[in-house]
Amino acid sequence: MSAGSIWVLPAEAVSPAARLAAEDFLIAEAAMLDERRFDEWIELFTDDVEYIVPVRTIRRVGNGSDIDWESRHYDDNKASLSLRVRRLSTDVAWSEDPPSFTRRVLGNFRYTPGPAATELTVKTNLLLFRSRGTTGDHDLIAGERTDVLRLVEGELKIAKRHVVLDQAMLGTKNLGVFL
Amino acid sequence: MTHVAINVEERLRATVRPETGEIPLFTYADPEVYKLELERIFGRVWLFVAHESELEEEGAFVVRQMGEQSVIVARGDDGEIRVFLNACRHRGMKLTCEDRGVTSYWRCPYHGFTFANHGNFMGTPFERAAYPPDGLDRERLRLIEARCDSYAGLIFATWTREGEGPSLPDFLGDMRWYLDIFAGRARMELLGEAQRWVVPSSWRLPSENFASDAYHTATAHAFLSRLGLVRSVDFGKDGYHVDAGGHGLGMGVHDDDPGSYFPDELEAEYRSRLDDDQLALLHRIKNFHGNVFPNLSFLIPNFIPVDGRLVTGMMLRVWQPMGPDRMQAWSWFLVEKDAPEWWKTLGRRMYVQTFSSGGMFDQDDTEVWEAQTAVAVAARSRSDEVMLDYTMGLDAEPLTDFPGPGTVYAGKFSEAAGRSYYRRWLDLLLEEGR
Repeated sequence: MSAGSIWVLPAEAVSPAARLAAEDFLIAEAAMLDERRFDEWIELFTDDVEYIVPVRTIRRVGNGSDIDWESRHYDDNKASLSLRVRRLSTDVAWSEDPPSFTRRVLGNFRYTPGPAATELTVKTNLLLFRSRGTTGDHDLIAGERTDVLRLVEGELKIAKRHVVLDQAMLGTKNLGVFL
Repeated sequence: MTHVAINVEERLRATVRPETGEIPLFTYADPEVYKLELERIFGRVWLFVAHESELEEEGAFVVRQMGEQSVIVARGDDGEIRVFLNACRHRGMKLTCEDRGVTSYWRCPYHGFTFANHGNFMGTPFERAAYPPDGLDRERLRLIEARCDSYAGLIFATWTREGEGPSLPDFLGDMRWYLDIFAGRARMELLGEAQRWVVPSSWRLPSENFASDAYHTATAHAFLSRLGLVRSVDFGKDGYHVDAGGHGLGMGVHDDDPGSYFPDELEAEYRSRLDDDQLALLHRIKNFHGNVFPNLSFLIPNFIPVDGRLVTGMMLRVWQPMGPDRMQAWSWFLVEKDAPEWWKTLGRRMYVQTFSSGGMFDQDDTEVWEAQTAVAVAARSRSDEVMLDYTMGLDAEPLTDFPGPGTVYAGKFSEAAGRSYYRRWLDLLLEEGR
């Protein structure tokens, strides 16, 4: 075995170009949310998008999964996400007016091809810093995103987003911010 | 003399005047008041702990709270449901730290004291060597147990002993007729685990909101009409306001649009469980909200059209105290067990999108409750009280021809149930009968 062979990617791996495109896309998307460019943001989703945030529970090892997909913090599709965006554009969206200051940090990008030929699955760790008001406090929302990105007419779109949060008892007073 | 110096019971007696619609702001977040609440409300009244659908299997248990105390709600091997303090009788260690499970016993992780799922002490490691010659007294070390009963599938518990306080039916009183409609009209189930989140608010603010406050919907939830999801911003006005003796509710009706909004597939079951008056009322319901004193809220959100069908997402909600200015919200989706799949699926989705941690309504409510609590903390040390106005509907005449019990008013814009909530609250805190 030559010294260089360990650098040969397995056949099913995602190409560096695709990885870079996906990473740039998700980082730009996070910036849109932090900058509250919701009208642009909603255009990043496919019409059949599934946006789900399941509930976590406290379980002993061996007593089943601690993720309950039947119970959800978000259970949204394109129509309801659009409704949330429209709500935020009214002058009666009190929970985010004045808005939270948010900072989304994405890391630990992991890529797998598929599930469809035009799709790429990206897992990332999300740290979402959120501060409101003048108490000097902040909420830190942590979780793992699983995004399915799909190439639609030459552009990347989000076809699925699942976010598993790392709290059974959420430490933020509402999920009035997108994850 | 400043209020800071006087005894909290004296301050409450002097300033809380529910009958004239005057409630002092400091009570929203006062540590001394909170201590009284834990002892004299959460330590005494019937509290919701679980739904029967969660405990169908023998040995099934869930871990819940009564006030700040952790309790285990379990169906024993004998089929009976019991509620235990989640505390080992040896050193007070939590017997279980998970949310739910199925077991025939709990073994304390500290020294191994073991208790059966019906509460009996079963033994401990090397027991005869540690406690010679015969080991420990089985009866004396039984788990501490709360009295437990259920109504319409809702399991309640209280720390008062038999004969010390009211029975559950007496405690629920006039609320039973309405709970029949909300929770007893069909065999119901909680779908999935509770959503839980911490809100920097007094536990009492959402409780009284659900009991009594339909009026805030026109402002706090104005987005609903702004986005064209309801016909007008006063969607919370038409219907009935019910003072059920500290419990309270509001029922929105759609008399301008006849025909039941509930699924036809369930009509036979509704008919078998409700009387004619209850069924007739159900057929007119477009929204339904209330609170069982002190902290169990329930809701049928205003029906909205989804994919050509009218849908709602029913909810059970408990506001668990964590201190004078912090609480946990526990929220469940409740639905008819034998409902058609579309009613469950669309209902759950609507519940999550409207009333939940990320719900479009709940977000705005939590914002308000937090700010009210913060203002109340600051008001505690004022020498003159900030008196709040609870007078809406003070002079309104109750209906005399409404078929349901309680004091019922036409139209949902009233604070009568809020006044009644505070009367019951005050009587319990001051240990005075009504």
